[in-house]
Amino acid sequence: MVESIILIPFIAGWIVFFLPKTTGRRILVITGVIHLLLSVLLWIKRPTAILAAYFAVSPEGLLSLSVISLLFFLISIYSTAYLKAAEIQSENIFTGSMLLFLSTMTMVTLSDHIMVMWIAIEATTLASAPLIYTYRTSESLEATWKYVLICSVGIAMALLGSVLITVAMDTGKVNAPVSFSGLTAVAKSLDPQWLKAGFVFILVGYGTKMGLAPMHTWLPDAHSEAPSPASALLSGVLLNCAYLGIFKTNKIMHAAGLGDFSGSILMIFGLISMLAAATFILKQTEYKRLLAYSSIENMGIIAFGTGIGGIGVYGAMICLIHHSLIKSSLFLTSGNILQGYRCKIIQNIGGLVYRMPRTFIAFFAGFVAISGFPPFGMFIGEMFIVMGAFRNGHHVGAIIFMGTICIIFAGLANQIMSISFEDSKRKHRMHMVGKMLWPQYVLLLTSVVFSFWMPDTLYMTIVEAITSIGGGV
Amino acid sequence: MIEPLDTILSLALLSILFSFGSSFLPGLIKVMAFQGIIVSIVPLFMGHDLSTSEILFTLVTMTIRGIVIPLCIYKAIKKVAVRREVQPIIGFNASILIGLGLIIAAAYVSPKFDVPSISISSLLLPTTIVLLVGGMFILIARRNAIAMVLGYIMMENGIYLVGTTFSVRALHIVEFGILLDVLAAVMIMAIILQNIKKTFDNMDTALLRTLKE
Repeated sequence: MVESIILIPFIAGWIVFFLPKTTGRRILVITGVIHLLLSVLLWIKRPTAILAAYFAVSPEGLLSLSVISLLFFLISIYSTAYLKAAEIQSENIFTGSMLLFLSTMTMVTLSDHIMVMWIAIEATTLASAPLIYTYRTSESLEATWKYVLICSVGIAMALLGSVLITVAMDTGKVNAPVSFSGLTAVAKSLDPQWLKAGFVFILVGYGTKMGLAPMHTWLPDAHSEAPSPASALLSGVLLNCAYLGIFKTNKIMHAAGLGDFSGSILMIFGLISMLAAATFILKQTEYKRLLAYSSIENMGIIAFGTGIGGIGVYGAMICLIHHSLIKSSLFLTSGNILQGYRCKIIQNIGGLVYRMPRTFIAFFAGFVAISGFPPFGMFIGEMFIVMGAFRNGHHVGAIIFMGTICIIFAGLANQIMSISFEDSKRKHRMHMVGKMLWPQYVLLLTSVVFSFWMPDTLYMTIVEAITSIGGGV
Repeated sequence: MIEPLDTILSLALLSILFSFGSSFLPGLIKVMAFQGIIVSIVPLFMGHDLSTSEILFTLVTMTIRGIVIPLCIYKAIKKVAVRREVQPIIGFNASILIGLGLIIAAAYVSPKFDVPSISISSLLLPTTIVLLVGGMFILIARRNAIAMVLGYIMMENGIYLVGTTFSVRALHIVEFGILLDVLAAVMIMAIILQNIKKTFDNMDTALLRTLKE
């Protein structure tokens, strides 16, 4: 049952390669629905996997899986309309790769074995590479090349880190399964030196994929060149998958009593990412790259929150969920803007509020949400992180954190206002199909709902996930 | 059983120096094929008792690392008839000198690490370190896209050596999954390379400079 969630999109993906275009679009949505239903079933039953040595349902995995499922379902609906409007040369490759990408990401969330986790994360890189090269331009080619090379080399570091953790087992004379749950149970007897080395390599490796500075260089290129539904998936869920790898390793570190070590490294990487994003957002000229840098900022926020511990980890998890919802809606909306103006440069775009009023609502609401204003959930998450930072005595970190958030808000506001209200030559209203609007509305609405009312099971699952890495409310 | 292992590891070290000094792609690919074969047969000479499945797995690894992957890249460059130079950023003589320095440094630091299986051969740890760092060096010091892919493969060889020799608990099915991933990565890179050649009429990565900031 657990494995079937991985297998269904995998099989569907390969089938779609050989089917006509319109059938492919339909299969995309149908698989999305099935995937969503199966994830809901996992919440209800929490079954054990048939290959229990490799796969398991963990609370943090379940959270990520549900976000993936919901996002993919909405993005697949958007995609059907998007694909109709955009001229894409080989659409089958696009839809097929989307499904394979879904399958590999699901595998990441469910894997328990350290090496299987690595295999799955590397597989996400490979499955998503054709998505970035969809438009067959020289820029998209460059972005794909950078993406595959930087991520593969980066993730090779994570493989080395995983191997070093097994060396820590040998040196500590531990005999246990090489799974995250197994290692967490025997963490105390692992050799601390090798474990630390392994964690650093894993953080650098999966951090490359997560978009932590200074390993983030592939991210803006890939996100800006990919078609919008693919960028929404990349930013909304792929980054979470890489974070999951770091989260689970951090669990072992905490169980081994090395939580301070891993926490301080995470905090430093988090702050560097936020500062890097702030410098690039201020002088950004393309709106999709703007959103990509904002993703780097948010990954920095999440890494920082995870590093602080205590209530900060809870904040980081809230940010993780809401960032996925909000950023994917923003990327989908950027697809609408691209269709309306046929241009990626901010300067050439203006008057969004007159030309595409319904798109404007989604775009502006998304901007308010991602900047951390209520009633959206990012606000709550960032509040908890700041509180946690002060409570645990990281005053300097908290001040840098708040300062960069303000700078980024100023930079974003400047650009978004110019897109929305500046005078433009193209003033006449443009019609947008409903399928390219309501998925964004649903995503933003979900974020609002979850910030006012959180179901008890969801809350309990988050708490269950974070207590193992020193978090708590 | 100890001496053949030392010979094999010295050959691997030599292959790194050769790869630093090769100025033409076909030569570099041949060196990497040789290195792939050498590295994948190391487990056979570790002195453990091997079951049939383990020997079979080693042979499969050898075929993929030593034959399939290099052939895949070789075909890619033949098909598009690229320029054969590796376009170095750091010159060949300097590269070889750096390689020698790297080997000395690795030999100097490796006794400081506490690894249980290090006693099998004193060359084991230095070789893996030089493979890892050397792969990265090629990634940085060569502008040609294919040379960069070969640098990535060298790094992977190093990781394979760490995985199979230092830790005895490697599961073959997992190892095989990793191998498949690497193979697929190299194939995708080869496809991108062909497209780079078609679009830019060159494989100099310095041309890939439009996307910034």
